[in-house]
Amino acid sequence: MTRLQIIFTRLALFALVMGAWEALPRAGAVNPLLLPPLSGVVRMLGQLLGRAQVQEAIGVTAAEVIVAFIIAVPLGAAIGILAAENDYFGAIFRPMLFYVFSIPKSIFLPMFILVFGIGFGQKVAYAAFSTLFIVIMSAAAAVESVKADHVLVARSYGASPLQVLTRVYVPSMMPFLLEALRISMIFNFTGVMIAEMYASRTGIGHLIASWGENFQMPQLLAGVILLAAVAILFNETVRWLEGRCSTWRT
Amino acid sequence: MQYMADVKSPRPQSRAAAIEVTGLSHIYEGRDGQVPALQEVSLTVGAGRFVVIVGPSGCGKTSLLMMMAGLRHQSSGTILCAGKPITGPDPNRVGVVFQEASLFPWLTALDNIEFPLSIRHAPREERRRRADAMLNLVGLKGFGTRYPHELSGGMKQRVSIARGLVQDPPVLLMDEPFAALDEQTRMTMGHELLRIWDETAKTVVFVTHSLTEAVYLADEVLVMSARPGRIIDRIDIALARPRTYEMMATDVFGRLRERIWQQIRRRSD
Ligand SMILES: Nc1ncnc2c1ncn2[C@@H]1O[C@H](COP(=O)(O)OP(=O)(O)O)[C@@H](O)[C@H]1O
Ligand SMILES: [Mg+2]
Repeated sequence: MTRLQIIFTRLALFALVMGAWEALPRAGAVNPLLLPPLSGVVRMLGQLLGRAQVQEAIGVTAAEVIVAFIIAVPLGAAIGILAAENDYFGAIFRPMLFYVFSIPKSIFLPMFILVFGIGFGQKVAYAAFSTLFIVIMSAAAAVESVKADHVLVARSYGASPLQVLTRVYVPSMMPFLLEALRISMIFNFTGVMIAEMYASRTGIGHLIASWGENFQMPQLLAGVILLAAVAILFNETVRWLEGRCSTWRT
Repeated sequence: MQYMADVKSPRPQSRAAAIEVTGLSHIYEGRDGQVPALQEVSLTVGAGRFVVIVGPSGCGKTSLLMMMAGLRHQSSGTILCAGKPITGPDPNRVGVVFQEASLFPWLTALDNIEFPLSIRHAPREERRRRADAMLNLVGLKGFGTRYPHELSGGMKQRVSIARGLVQDPPVLLMDEPFAALDEQTRMTMGHELLRIWDETAKTVVFVTHSLTEAVYLADEVLVMSARPGRIIDRIDIALARPRTYEMMATDVFGRLRERIWQQIRRRSD
């Protein structure tokens, strides 16, 4: 299949699903209370975005996601690099990290509530916690992708430790780091959502949870569209970055 | 005996040794105790000579070369380059060509060749000019914008050689540079290397475990024993230059090859 064919097929499939979403409830094939038609949901989204309460919720959620990301990524990267570079540290903590990574993090939510309450701090702490492990693992993998030969070559030409870092480590790790960035953002965003849905007074997750509890399907689905839009935007940005430095990836 | 020419190489040689190794020993601190890798290695490489080191796998050839390049510190002994001790990497005195794929995959051929110059912040103009000249020297004119994965194995090693020569060091150290190539490409590359050596008048120390390659390339072959590595024989290759592929079929060539083989076998049992 050519690239164009793939894009066309994707668009066609998208149009088909959207069309069905509109047509089936209208024709009465699906209960409109269960699945309101697309046009109604889009109209609802427009209305919601105009409400001060929703705007505030979006602002809060965005702030939580960003702060958690800023905490989790450098911290996780530092631990991951340490685990990969330092044999002793790696040997001790690696299995432990791996086991914690496999446990669903939401089990720990009550503890975060006990320690941080149910406000901004708790959302950030929980999201950062649930993101940390994937960042650690990705950073360790990225460091291990650096070839010893490449470091040796740079040193043989008199590269300083800083030059080895910027001229060998960074470019070697870049594809892994971008992929890690994308995956950690998914974990991070999911972390904030779960924490907000579990117990909160504001935030998109909180709104979606309360719409869900009251079976307000148009609002709920409008929320889903909003989240999907944010996810697509972020993914495409990272993909674009990846494309820019992937000329050497074979 | 027609190829048994005078031992003297056609190029005038200076008296000073390009490299002088004296009493070099090395012990690695391995996980299960100490690994004696090199034992009392002494050798002299005359300026402008092509010296090949052969020896069984694991006998310390790479270690020896790394120490000559200043990339690893020996347990004891000294290494002089043009009379001055080697204490760390010095790209103005020694260039290194590594095994297999040591090119940076994220840089084009030209940028790979420029790498040593960019490390010491040479002006952009000079970098381009030198790198272009090196690309021509190794016969890759027009391939500068290719990435390593777009080059064949032989072409990659040409780029590696260009990168090793770009700072114009008097000495070039090569650690099994053609080991990963197929037999035919390997022969061609050996021949090319001799041409480049002739044009640039470098001193070359070349590690291989192909005896044919050793005899074909060398002015002299140093044979190392199995671990701990020692120099057990030094053989002058008194074949005329320029070397030709036909020489490989001669008796002289065969006898030289056999002598090296006997040395390696006798000491490795
Ligand atoms: N960093 C190291 N730590 C411990 N032992 C090493 C190390 N590097 C090499 N060795 C050992 O030293 C010996 C010589 O290695 P090397 O110089 O790579 O040999 P060669 O290049 O001739 O195959 C080998 O037995 C190898 O296992
Ligand atoms: Mg070796």
